[in-house]
Amino acid sequence: MRRARTRSRAAVVLAAAVPLLGACGIRATDVVEAGGPASVQAFLDLDSEMLLFFRAPDGGLSPVIRPAEPSAGFGDAYASGSDSAYTAGPVPTEKVVTTLLAGPDEEDRAAGLGTALPAVRPGGSVAVEPSPDGGVSTRLPLALKDLDSTALRQLTCTIAYNRDADGQVLVRLEGRDGASHSDTCGLARGAPGNVPGAS
Amino acid sequence: MTTGPGPRRARRAEDRGRRGDRPTDRRFPIRAFGLRTRLMLAFLLVAAVSAGTTAALTYREARTALLKTAQDTAVSSFRDHVQQTAFALPVREEGIEEVLRDLARKGKPRPWVVFAEYGSLRASSGENPVSTVITPELRAAARANPRGSFERVVKDGVPYLTIAMPTVFRTSPDSLLPSGLVLYAVMRMTDEQVNVDALLVAARDGALPGLAVALIPGLIAARSVLRPVRDLRRAARSLGSGRLDTRIPVRGSDELADLASTFNESTGQLERSVRELREAEERARRFASDVSHELRTPLAGMLAVTEVLDEDADGLDADTARAVRLVSAETGKLAVLVEDLMEISRFDARAAELNVDEVDVGEAVRKTLQKRHWTDDRVRAELPGGIRARLDPRRFDVVIANLVGNALKHGGAPVTVTLRTEARSPGTTVLITEVTDGGPGIRPEALPHVFDRFYKADAARTRSAGSGLGLAITLENVKLHGGTISAGNRPGGGAVFTVDIPLHAEEAGG
Amino acid sequence: MPRVLLIEDDPSVREGVELGLRRRGHEVRAAATGEAGLAALAAFRPDLLLLDLMLPGMNGVQVCRQVRERSQLPIIMLTARGDDFDVVIGLEAGADDYIVKPARTEVIEARIRAVLRRLDDGGTGRPAVEVHGALTIDRTGLTVTKAGRPLALAPSELKLLLHLSAAPEQVFSRQQLLEHVWEHSYHADARLVDACVARLRGKIEDEAGSPRYVQTLRGFGYRFGPL
Repeated sequence: MRRARTRSRAAVVLAAAVPLLGACGIRATDVVEAGGPASVQAFLDLDSEMLLFFRAPDGGLSPVIRPAEPSAGFGDAYASGSDSAYTAGPVPTEKVVTTLLAGPDEEDRAAGLGTALPAVRPGGSVAVEPSPDGGVSTRLPLALKDLDSTALRQLTCTIAYNRDADGQVLVRLEGRDGASHSDTCGLARGAPGNVPGAS
Repeated sequence: MTTGPGPRRARRAEDRGRRGDRPTDRRFPIRAFGLRTRLMLAFLLVAAVSAGTTAALTYREARTALLKTAQDTAVSSFRDHVQQTAFALPVREEGIEEVLRDLARKGKPRPWVVFAEYGSLRASSGENPVSTVITPELRAAARANPRGSFERVVKDGVPYLTIAMPTVFRTSPDSLLPSGLVLYAVMRMTDEQVNVDALLVAARDGALPGLAVALIPGLIAARSVLRPVRDLRRAARSLGSGRLDTRIPVRGSDELADLASTFNESTGQLERSVRELREAEERARRFASDVSHELRTPLAGMLAVTEVLDEDADGLDADTARAVRLVSAETGKLAVLVEDLMEISRFDARAAELNVDEVDVGEAVRKTLQKRHWTDDRVRAELPGGIRARLDPRRFDVVIANLVGNALKHGGAPVTVTLRTEARSPGTTVLITEVTDGGPGIRPEALPHVFDRFYKADAARTRSAGSGLGLAITLENVKLHGGTISAGNRPGGGAVFTVDIPLHAEEAGG
Repeated sequence: MPRVLLIEDDPSVREGVELGLRRRGHEVRAAATGEAGLAALAAFRPDLLLLDLMLPGMNGVQVCRQVRERSQLPIIMLTARGDDFDVVIGLEAGADDYIVKPARTEVIEARIRAVLRRLDDGGTGRPAVEVHGALTIDRTGLTVTKAGRPLALAPSELKLLLHLSAAPEQVFSRQQLLEHVWEHSYHADARLVDACVARLRGKIEDEAGSPRYVQTLRGFGYRFGPL
């Protein structure tokens, strides 16, 4: 009786002492969030540069800045023949989409970037027109139903950031097969859940 | 009783007291789990727990603060430096290491190793492009959530701080877009470890002297608690050794003070009861003594004339002669009885004196037997010569005469008296006198009572020739010599009385 | 038959002892107080004084001292056992012997006879007068002189001196002296001997503190000489 009481008392003392004494030195921790990300300089000039989204090796989207050279002379992508390329303002959306559809260049590939979009036969036309609800509607020279979600987001984000520096534009895609897909990019900071690699 | 029994009795009580004290009279011994030990242990435990807890909590807080400062500094500094860096997108492999080394040099509070991950690109400011310290969890967190994060990792006993810093870039003044580039910084926390270890040492070095310092008030507190207990123990012992006027000083008003006053009340009542008992006993004794005294004077006159009665009885008629002889005989017995009662009273009053003289014990016994005419076959004596002892010859004569007379009366011939000496440790020799008889022995149930006053071993024999005090007086005489007496039966039948008296009992006398 | 003066305050004891002794042929005069006893002394001229110690008024010890101042009349004290202190004082005052009350007449008479009995010379051919140092002991005349001056010795003192000096340098134990000088039992009160020795030394020794004639052998007893 008395012995048991003594023992339980000792146990209480031990229980109090062990965590106090055992916590010596520096221990490992879990991952701890500490403030926001680092905002680096990328020198993006939407008036002369394109922002393209390719597929990173982990499956997420990775933005790439590509200068928009006056390439109309030898580029065959300018199907619409628009003259807006030489005017002030953002690079024409049709050109940006065409460049995206052309796939990553050598530098992009060197960094491990790829695309989920299929190769498009040259000559396919891209038509862009604003929607009445403030969004943008794009007709594409390919069948939408064959595209996976990464490909759709590549197109959506590329178009969105072309039309608006904040990327907050509702983008409507129309395929040659008549299928359509509406979405916003949602990659902007502070929109969890749409981040690449979140699987 | 002109010799004054009072001081004598007091001295005996003192002797008893001292004897009682001796075997255990040590100052409060330190027992294995005594009150003192337990108090000290409890005190130390409390001191240890509080000192330990304080030290541990302080240590933890200090360590946390120290690490937090180091981590926060590192993370914000890393972010600042990264933010001042420009990257092309896609990130190109050439030149990136230069950028990372530049970042690494700016590390605060210490240089760190910077790793970059972009697409399939892996680069670092160090030798290996990929860190072995960064955990998959940190990577996953950095990829899942574009926020800075850190993780402390202990690898091979070395603590590292790993910081993951996803990068974003500005697409418009209001909008940031993740760039896909994640920068990692890995920093050894050796300095922090040194500091934390120093903290631990400081905490321990603070707690241990605290514990040692706590020992002193612990001892003082234990002492103050134990002092009343010690007082109580002394008082109880003093009480046990007969000093009934023992009282404890009552200090303060705590539980121990209550105990002390209760003790005092109890001893007061005890003292009163014992005093009343003693007075009653004293009265009874004095009464017996007074009665004997008063009886003695008329007896002295009567005894002087018994001879006259005896001589003239022959000339009287038969009935008168019988009556006269009866009166004469009973007067003699009464005189013996009164003398024995007087003797017992003196023992009870501790007024009996021992007049010791060095004698030849064998001769003393022989003279005793001669005086009573026990020189025929009924009494045999085995008396080795040359045994000398300091005895009161008159009292020794009473002892021997009573034992032999008792053996003849209740046992039977032959009665044997043997004398011998025996060495008892240390350095004391004991004179052993044995009186055995040829009778049937003493019944076992009677053995414990043979020395009782007026004890009749044989219920049928209502009155014996003796006073019934003979063996009681014998016992008292032996005790007065510092000796012991015992009664028993021999294996072969017959009672045996054994008297042990220290041979050189010079101190035992008066 | 010896003439006995009995001083005893208790009437029954006085009458009993007187009766008993008279029956045995003694001429007895009894007195109830010390004063009366001392007054009767001159007229009655007893051979022996039987003296109770506990007396009203002048007590037995005082009576004893007064008698010893004038004569060497044999004195036997009557005492009760347990009154040890009084016994010692009585013996120091010069009493020759004592009897414990109550006592049968035969015991009392035996004591009286013992005290009055002359020492048996043993009939040896020793000279009647012996000289030991300054002491001259006349065994026939029963006188002792020291340096020509006669010494007043009480009967017990004289008997003790005669007994010891009859065998110079022989050691006698107290018990032997009790038996031979006082005719007591071996186990009797040795203080009788010690008190008598002390009194005797006071009379015959030059310095009572360092005795020449009656020497003590501690643990054994007394002896006469060696001078």
